Amino acid sequence: MAAWFLRGIRRRVVTTRYPRGHDPWTADLPAPPAFDPGALTVPLANAVASVCPSRALWLDAGDLVLDLGRCTACGRCLEVAGTGSRSSSCIELSTPGPRGTLVRIPIGGSPG
Amino acid sequence: MTEAELAARLRDEVGRTFGRSLHIRTIDTGSCAACESEIRMLLAPHYDLTRLGFFFTPTPRHADLLMVTGPGAVGMDHALRLTYQAMPDPKVVVAVGACPLGGVLGPDILTHGSIQELIPVDVVIPGCPPSPIALLHGLLVATGRLAARVNPARFMTAPPPAPGKTA
Repeated sequence: MAAWFLRGIRRRVVTTRYPRGHDPWTADLPAPPAFDPGALTVPLANAVASVCPSRALWLDAGDLVLDLGRCTACGRCLEVAGTGSRSSSCIELSTPGPRGTLVRIPIGGSPG
Repeated sequence: MTEAELAARLRDEVGRTFGRSLHIRTIDTGSCAACESEIRMLLAPHYDLTRLGFFFTPTPRHADLLMVTGPGAVGMDHALRLTYQAMPDPKVVVAVGACPLGGVLGPDILTHGSIQELIPVDVVIPGCPPSPIALLHGLLVATGRLAARVNPARFMTAPPPAPGKTA
């Protein structure tokens, strides 16, 4: 206890560390989607982009772009994409600047 | 000086400037209060924000970091601008939730739809609302105590195909 106290005064160190692992229940929290690039086709990508109420998905240069900043994890794209998608279970998404939230998912299927 | 060296230097300066003690002011620009609810939970024993040297302050004049929620309601323009101006330099602006990043409301006569054109945003914390653990992560990213890593592979269920195979 004394060592902890002196260390805190001398170095202004944090008293405990940031959680080193995830709490198990965080896997159940709503999270942005993850897509299977091989299962994505241009029509499917258009379909998931059109159902997104947050304008967080769009097509650009053959990629499906996911803006994590805009995504509200509503899950509508997961219903449309079916087995080619799942929740990413990733909630710690902070980045410096607004551009770091863009994720490009290559569309691997053929247009059908 | 490379970009990585610049980033490392900036992290050092932020850590030195704020000395592991940082005061937070929150401002709501028209959110549904879900983000405020999550921010309030940061003070609960499970998350215990103060153990990391973060404190909430009721006045922007004592604040180092501004947490902005909401889509930027036009009626809050004046208050947001005054709050930002009242904060002493150096200051960090953190946009909390999908609203200030343009994910919920579009621009119309009542809201700007996003706060990124109103004040300079340094760190974004996505989520609707972001959980307290995500907020904690964002605050540590803002002070340079955690590296920001958004791994694109987390949002793909399988590795991307080789180049040239895209439709």
